[in-house]
Amino acid sequence: MKHRVLAPIVGILCFLGAWELLVQLNDVRPFVLRAPSRVVDNLFSYPGTYAEAAWVTLQHAYFGAALGLAGALLLAAPMAASRFVEHAVHPVLTLVQVTPFVAYIASVVLWLGPGTRPAVFIVGLVCLPAFAFAAVDGMRSADPAARELLASVDASRWEVLWRLRLPSALPSLFTSARYNVGLALIAAYLVEGGNYANEGLGAIGKKAALFPSTRDAADALWAAIFAMAILGTVTLLVLSVAQRALMRWHVSQRPQLR
Amino acid sequence: MSAIELRQVSKAYGDLAVIDALDLSVEGGSFVSIIGPSGCGKTTLLRVLAGLEPATSGQLSVDNRPPEEARRRKRVAMVPQQPGLLPWRTVRANARLLLDVNRAANPVDALTPELLLAEVGLGDFGAMYPHELSGGMAQRVALVRALALHSPLLVMDEPFAALDEITRSEMRHLLNRLVEGKAVTVLFVTHSITEAVALSDRVLVTSARPAQVVADITIDLPRPRSVDVEDDPRFFELCADVRHALHRGNGTTATGGGA
Ligand SMILES: Nc1ncnc2c1ncn2[C@@H]1O[C@H](COP(=O)(O)OP(=O)(O)OP(=O)(O)O)[C@@H](O)[C@H]1O
Ligand SMILES: [Mg+2]
Repeated sequence: MKHRVLAPIVGILCFLGAWELLVQLNDVRPFVLRAPSRVVDNLFSYPGTYAEAAWVTLQHAYFGAALGLAGALLLAAPMAASRFVEHAVHPVLTLVQVTPFVAYIASVVLWLGPGTRPAVFIVGLVCLPAFAFAAVDGMRSADPAARELLASVDASRWEVLWRLRLPSALPSLFTSARYNVGLALIAAYLVEGGNYANEGLGAIGKKAALFPSTRDAADALWAAIFAMAILGTVTLLVLSVAQRALMRWHVSQRPQLR
Repeated sequence: MSAIELRQVSKAYGDLAVIDALDLSVEGGSFVSIIGPSGCGKTTLLRVLAGLEPATSGQLSVDNRPPEEARRRKRVAMVPQQPGLLPWRTVRANARLLLDVNRAANPVDALTPELLLAEVGLGDFGAMYPHELSGGMAQRVALVRALALHSPLLVMDEPFAALDEITRSEMRHLLNRLVEGKAVTVLFVTHSITEAVALSDRVLVTSARPAQVVADITIDLPRPRSVDVEDDPRFFELCADVRHALHRGNGTTATGGGA
């Protein structure tokens, strides 16, 4: 089990080392690529600024994802129960999924006003389709024998949903959550660049991009990128821990044969 | 009154007649097995009786009510072929699953799942998860889950079919022990002649689809039945009767000849 901790660290350190070397040896322009050592140095020079911005971005991403999940479950319950509803809602979700949200950020900001609300809304919208598809699949995968059993004692729709369909959907929901981590963070970052609130890592990145030739801007941009990477990694870790706690019963959480 | 009463009951899926004008009457408190060729409609019959599927025509009552009403009042407890345990529930929680839903219909004298678990030898396994159980243990949990409802009718669809011969034999003696002397009526579908004879008061042999009862054999072995009953010469005679009826049922004009 030791290599489960050690190997990823070695891998990341090698990656960062190669990057550092590349930048040091080739004199790459700062905005294009910053040496990891400088980025870390900058992060630690203004820890408060970046921590505060990261905290804002984290909230946008998490609250947005929670909103998306809630919406997905509300849609998935009737979708899993009725083919008609599924066939009606599916194309709409697909439309949401394939339309680049960047295109309508400005409209949503105009509609919901500057600040947190458009960020949470867009993150929610972006996470919605994957969560909904996963929830429908998972709910449908519920063991038919168990469904029949619950029907034989006239369990209500709610009871079937709560006792059988939702737990059956947990594995696929976690898979889609992993996929949504990146999407949610990107959406939060991009909305923060356009919601006139000057908050969050996205705002730092956006400001930096206005002056791409200065060294300070390059420092700020790459610090924001690193902070985003850390947010993503931490989120995946949180998901793994949550999954282990909620799904101890599932095959995927048991020791595997090699 | 009979626990189960069918008059001219038919069930068709589209053009496929699965049950055709079936008459059947099962006395309360008796153990009745149904044995017949694969695909003849045994599972369908159980699902109709459990109120999961409406009959196409005919009259039927279960516990003196229409099956749909019996289902709403939790009067029918099912044991399916696959145990159907929920993997995220412990043995204890699985055992009380049917009590946890539609609580309004729970009988006042529902049995305590913990006590039943102890009775089937799973007292120490309450905290385990289904993936930690053997097939026999899982099927015992499914049995407890059904018995805990304390419903007057128990329908079992080849509950031991997936088990090995040794476990099956243990399970049938366990089942005899659990239901003997109780007021419960059991309808038991099986492919095993031994199982049918060892457990039943009556064995119904059915023909291929559409299902017709071709023989109604009374099993006059004494109760309570111990393991030794399977060494009784009468046991072998009855097994032979059932087997012959099964063969005759595959012919054309076989009619109900008793033991
Ligand atoms: N929901 C359904 N729709 C259409 N046909 C069905 C349905 N359920 C069962 N059938 C058909 O009804 C017939 C009887 O099926 P059933 O499951 O009742 O048989 P069975 O006697 O239980 O068989 P086995 O002993 O193999 O379990 C089969 O031909 C099957 O294809
Ligand atoms: Mg069957």
